[in-house]
Amino acid sequence: MDEMNTTLSVEHVTKRFGDFTAVEDLSFSVQSGRVFGFLGPNGAGKTTTIRMIVGITIPDEGKIQLFGSGITPGIRDRIGYLPEERGLYKKMKVLDQLRYFAALKGVAQKEADKRIDFWLGRMQLSEWKSKKTTDLSKGMSQKLQFIATMLHNPDLLILDEPFSGLDPVNVEFMKEVIAEIKSQDKTIIFSTHLMETAEKLCDDIILLNKSRKVLSGKLREIKASYGKNVISLRCSGGEAVLADKELVAHIVEHSDEKEIFLKETGRAKDLLARLVESGADVTKFESIEPSLNDIFIDKVKT
Amino acid sequence: MNKFFAVVKREYKKVVFTWTFLLTTFLMPFIGAMFLVVPMLIFTIEGEQTRIAFADLNGNLAERLKKNLTPNKLADNLKRTAEGSLDKLEPSQNKQIEETAKLFGGNFKIIDYDASGKTPSEIKEFLNSLVAKKELDAYIIIPKDIDSTESKFELYSRKAGDFIINSTLESALSDAVRSQRLLDADISEEKLRQITRRVKLEKRPITETGAEKEDGADPMSGFIIASFLMTILLIYGQAIMAAIVEEKETKISEVLFSSARPFELLMGKLVGVGLAGLTQLAIWLAAASLLLGFGALSASASGIPIELPSITLMVVIYFLIFFLLGFFIYATIYAFIGSMVTNMQEGGQFAVLPVMILIIGLYFCFAVVRDPNSSLAFWMSIAPFFAPIVMPVRILAEVPPFWHIALAILLNGVAIIGLTWLTSRVYRIGMLMYGKRATIPEVWKWIWHS
Repeated sequence: MDEMNTTLSVEHVTKRFGDFTAVEDLSFSVQSGRVFGFLGPNGAGKTTTIRMIVGITIPDEGKIQLFGSGITPGIRDRIGYLPEERGLYKKMKVLDQLRYFAALKGVAQKEADKRIDFWLGRMQLSEWKSKKTTDLSKGMSQKLQFIATMLHNPDLLILDEPFSGLDPVNVEFMKEVIAEIKSQDKTIIFSTHLMETAEKLCDDIILLNKSRKVLSGKLREIKASYGKNVISLRCSGGEAVLADKELVAHIVEHSDEKEIFLKETGRAKDLLARLVESGADVTKFESIEPSLNDIFIDKVKT
Repeated sequence: MNKFFAVVKREYKKVVFTWTFLLTTFLMPFIGAMFLVVPMLIFTIEGEQTRIAFADLNGNLAERLKKNLTPNKLADNLKRTAEGSLDKLEPSQNKQIEETAKLFGGNFKIIDYDASGKTPSEIKEFLNSLVAKKELDAYIIIPKDIDSTESKFELYSRKAGDFIINSTLESALSDAVRSQRLLDADISEEKLRQITRRVKLEKRPITETGAEKEDGADPMSGFIIASFLMTILLIYGQAIMAAIVEEKETKISEVLFSSARPFELLMGKLVGVGLAGLTQLAIWLAAASLLLGFGALSASASGIPIELPSITLMVVIYFLIFFLLGFFIYATIYAFIGSMVTNMQEGGQFAVLPVMILIIGLYFCFAVVRDPNSSLAFWMSIAPFFAPIVMPVRILAEVPPFWHIALAILLNGVAIIGLTWLTSRVYRIGMLMYGKRATIPEVWKWIWHS
């Protein structure tokens, strides 16, 4: 891998809390200018890993490098972190709150004020500038928190479940904003359990389950490698063929068609030949890529 | 460092720019002023004239009594009492005394009444009828024999509750009786005054080194200051705990911790709130010294003896130093508690501990005031946790040798460093633990194994 373009590298990192191992021997790297999806079910170790990346906790074993060096206060100021547990001072005014978070990231007030105006405008919150946080709706405070993450113009953005609690309109809006940030050559890591969103936004993904890495790489390649063995099928009859455990791993039923997951040894043309042979009426037979959701469920189940 | 100052600034502004802070800071001196000034104002309100008659069965006293109630005579008396307590009278105070006296004296209108040859019941019947007709407010019956212990002086008054009138009358009457007795015994008034002048005992404590020093402050004022200090320490400790619990409850700490070091955040919080406390204290001290100065002036002017504690600039500086030491000790303890609990109710249970320590310190202040040079006073006034309360009281009672003060500052400084170290370790981990209160073994592990 090209060292110059590596924003983040995690090498053999382990973190334990007492007897519980939250992250075990985890290694991956994130290339600059890409959107990196951090996927996995609840309790897989996503938040623990992210906390180690932003320097809130320290790994028990292994090494984390950001922008080619260890975590120093200077490096920290290049990260924007939106934690899963959102928090704002309730009684503080929006403007004061943003100024404070900017100051904590080392932004001078004049510069901060300029960026606050820009971002409040961009997030359609300008008229709330002098209101208290308690007056804001949940979605608005979420956007406010996102602004706080962006004020120091970070090179690496880490978003933990950025869409949770947003209505569909705002989810689309945030996706646009994220795409915009990506186009400025920033690196974005975001964790989510919404596979559809990850599928639309991510260039690379890592899938964690039970403290360990299950899968990682470029989204395209992962999907392509799974694609060979999934068939979208619409037919009547042929139940005996589909029940053959030698050929078919499992089936996902949709309203008028089925997704057939073949065994690794199974081949699509064999399935088609046997269906035709059995006299089934096949109206659709298409080799498809599985959705990320399918891969996620498949990997987490086993 | 900039981040640290950002935290200090926010915490300071958060405390100072609130209505409660502004109200308590500026209202307290005002309330204090009310307690001092309002009674004085009430005293200066002119009462209605009191029409009074003297039924003098003795025959010699009515004239004297009349004279004693003239404004000039009253002023003389007041001046004499004031001179007894204060060494010198300023010219302005002299004038004030005269005005007060005029006020009292002008209150009486003497109705002539000849009681010779009448029985007490006849007198009463007649004068009561005058009172009923609202022509008279009060009368005094002076017995024939003023020397017998059997005889009674009686005041009948429509305004029996007016204590100013009563006491003025009483002293005028005793003066009159005394003058008469002196005359009978052939002693001049001037002679008597010389004989009965009170001795003024000046208390001049000797320090351990054998040097004389000025009279120390009133022990009571030491105790008041100790409880005042304790209250402030508790209020600001609670404020720190509330701020930490808020950051934990709202889960802001995660964002904060990704921006600045926990130690910076904790210290910024302590320093910011500490400066706010110092601001309030400075305003109160300034207001108190103004008020005390003003209060003492007008009090001594109206003849009430008052002694100001001898407070030097150095004492004020010590006072502020020990306030800061106390603040950092107790604020850190409260921060420690705030970091391990999940809400204020849980915090309240643990907060009993610092309150207990402070109350114990307050009790030891009694012992220190009684004997500031005892070994108990020495140990308590240098001991960590207690010194911030006990030492200022001891300094007020009698300034101890400098090395005692220095030792107290050193020991408490070390205690603060230790407490801060412990607290920052608990804070670092506790702030990220949501939903569950930390147990003591867990906290122990955070301190030593992380």
